[in-house]
Amino acid sequence: MLTVKELEQCARDFVLVAFMAYSFVGAVYISGTGVTQDLRNATILVHDADNTPQSRSLLYRFRQPYFKRIGTYTGESAGLARLDMGTAMLLLDIPEDFEATLSHSARPAQVQMLVDTSNVTLGYLAAAYGQQIVAEYAQERAQEGARRSGLDLRVLPSVENVSRVWYNPNLNGHWFNAIGQWLTMMTVIAVLLPATALVRERERGTLEQLLVAPLTPMQIMVSKALAMTLVNLVGTALSVYAVMLPLIGVPFAGSAWLFFATTALYVFSIAGLGLAIGAFARSSAEVGMLVILIAVPVTALSGTWTAPEAMPEWSRYGLQISPLYHFLSCAYGILLRGAQLRVLWSSILMLALLGAIAFGLAWLGLRRKFG
Amino acid sequence: MNLRRVAVVARKEWREISRDRVFLALAFALPVMWMLVFGYTMTFDVQNVPFAVLDYDHSAQSRDFAYRFVSSRYFEFRGYLTSAHEMDRLLEAAEVRLVITIPEHFERDIAAGRNARIATTIDGTFPNRAQTIQAYAESITQDYSARLRAHRIAAQAGITEDRALTLMQPLRLEIRYLYNQALRSSWSVAPSLVMFTLMFVPSLLTALVVVREKENGSIYNIYCSTVTRAEFLLGKLFPSATISYIDALVCTAIAVYYFGAPFKASPWFYLLATAVYVVCTASIGLLVSTLVRSQNAALMIASIVGIIPAIQFSGMINPVAILEGSAWVQAHLFPAMYFENIVLGSYLKGVGAETLWTNLCVLGGYAAVLMALSYHAFRKRQTH
Repeated sequence: MLTVKELEQCARDFVLVAFMAYSFVGAVYISGTGVTQDLRNATILVHDADNTPQSRSLLYRFRQPYFKRIGTYTGESAGLARLDMGTAMLLLDIPEDFEATLSHSARPAQVQMLVDTSNVTLGYLAAAYGQQIVAEYAQERAQEGARRSGLDLRVLPSVENVSRVWYNPNLNGHWFNAIGQWLTMMTVIAVLLPATALVRERERGTLEQLLVAPLTPMQIMVSKALAMTLVNLVGTALSVYAVMLPLIGVPFAGSAWLFFATTALYVFSIAGLGLAIGAFARSSAEVGMLVILIAVPVTALSGTWTAPEAMPEWSRYGLQISPLYHFLSCAYGILLRGAQLRVLWSSILMLALLGAIAFGLAWLGLRRKFG
Repeated sequence: MNLRRVAVVARKEWREISRDRVFLALAFALPVMWMLVFGYTMTFDVQNVPFAVLDYDHSAQSRDFAYRFVSSRYFEFRGYLTSAHEMDRLLEAAEVRLVITIPEHFERDIAAGRNARIATTIDGTFPNRAQTIQAYAESITQDYSARLRAHRIAAQAGITEDRALTLMQPLRLEIRYLYNQALRSSWSVAPSLVMFTLMFVPSLLTALVVVREKENGSIYNIYCSTVTRAEFLLGKLFPSATISYIDALVCTAIAVYYFGAPFKASPWFYLLATAVYVVCTASIGLLVSTLVRSQNAALMIASIVGIIPAIQFSGMINPVAILEGSAWVQAHLFPAMYFENIVLGSYLKGVGAETLWTNLCVLGGYAAVLMALSYHAFRKRQTH
């Protein structure tokens, strides 16, 4: 009964409905189609002092999808100014004696690349791909050279790397962004809404009405959390079936039942966290601040956006108490890897445990105020 | 416009904020926590990647090859595997991110001068890290291969190994990393976090200022007072913007002194730009506050309006120089990108007003437009 009241209250709040729709559909769509941290079209300016067919053929290899030549520069300071302004990312400099050194000299020829590394990942990737391009070109030239000097390179050994990527074979960053955005948005909503719902009842004085009604604090809390869970499940279903699968192409490798069951458990547990905040906070303004204070570390320390092994040592303990960390193995596991219950049971247990702790705290808070 | 009345509104607002101790404490604690949590967890360094080796060859050569990965500072060796089944299990549990499979006859193929193929299996859950791991593995393998060949040529042709390497690799690419030579992720992340935090906190602080009075009903005091709309809004904006600017200085100090990000440019331009940016993002909150009717709605809208453009289109994840199409347009629509340019310029690139002044102008214009919109949206007579 009380759950129905909560749901009706939600549905009548137009701003709230619009916000939910935006979070689960709009935001996931924007992230899933927006930018990814792949190296694509790294803008490159070239300075070809040699200007021979050979130098042009090397330059030609710096092309899409990784690189995009946007022009030439003369003189390093002019090139550097473009990097300073952020209108180009790389400078490629081919020296005057490039071809002469390459064909006739005993020492290796050199080409220089200047990389803007204000974005570390992309800077590194651009350099790595540049290396590969130059190494391939050098190898082809070496084969010509060796043929001329009578060496047979075909009987030389080599090691070749065959690279396979699992779970996201094309390294599609959009999948990652869409899933991460959905997780983040759901976490914020599932903590924020129960907290504001509780504080609002307090601010309007309707909480006293509830407390004098023949209801236990636990019943009041559970009804609010249940309402939140239902709302978030609907949102998640929209997110998954209206955006992620059809528009972004995220695979759904595992069981839908298991997916929604674990999602429900997750939302229910962190709704408990929201209620705990609501029970302790005194005003809406405080709730907003507290939610951010708690939801942000829960998300940041979950491994949603950063792999756990890249984090410092101490934060790995933080991981264990972040409900999102445990839900993450379920979400990624079921969606991308098709994980089954027998792999996930320990995460599910931890989620239930953390949820129980949160509800215990909320219950204490409510009792202390009104008991 | 009467400055004295602005000051009165501001003083009243300041009292209201400072009497809510929890809120006041959070207004200062939040940005600090934010900087620390994200500064530590948002790292793009790809190091200590846990990996395992599935060696079917069990030869001296295969161990020598595996050692190239073991000894690399980018990888962290978790042991040899015995079966492909074990590989499945470890990758699924995310205990390793990379498995190197060395086939049978690896040593024999190399000795016979044939092409040997190894396989690297990478966990693609974090696509960007996977891409970097792929690049590392490729470069280690290429390097190993080149040395093998050079060694063989040197023996065949009776020349030194160095000479043979030159013969094999007659062209080198010399790479110069600019701005962040050591590729230290925290140097780039910490300044961007200042941008990100200041996109969020000021708008959150101002989001409640007008709507709170609407909910309390105390807004009617304003409706029937002599204070004008502009005076009221400015008075409301001032205390929050001041707190935000103090927050900005604290964030800057954390980025520079705690995370060690270099600050290469002159600070004056940066300090001015930060003030303009803070007013700009605080105005976003003010606009939200004048538009909506409940504190809840104000909080929610303020918290989402900022985050997505600040992460996605500010240049924090992807430099704006390489964005295309609608992403490029969206980047230019939000203030985050302009301040990100200023931040990266001031910290890493060491450029000042002469390169960055257009960004500052846009931010100033942005703030002016937002305030004009708030002025327009705020009516002294309530309309339903």
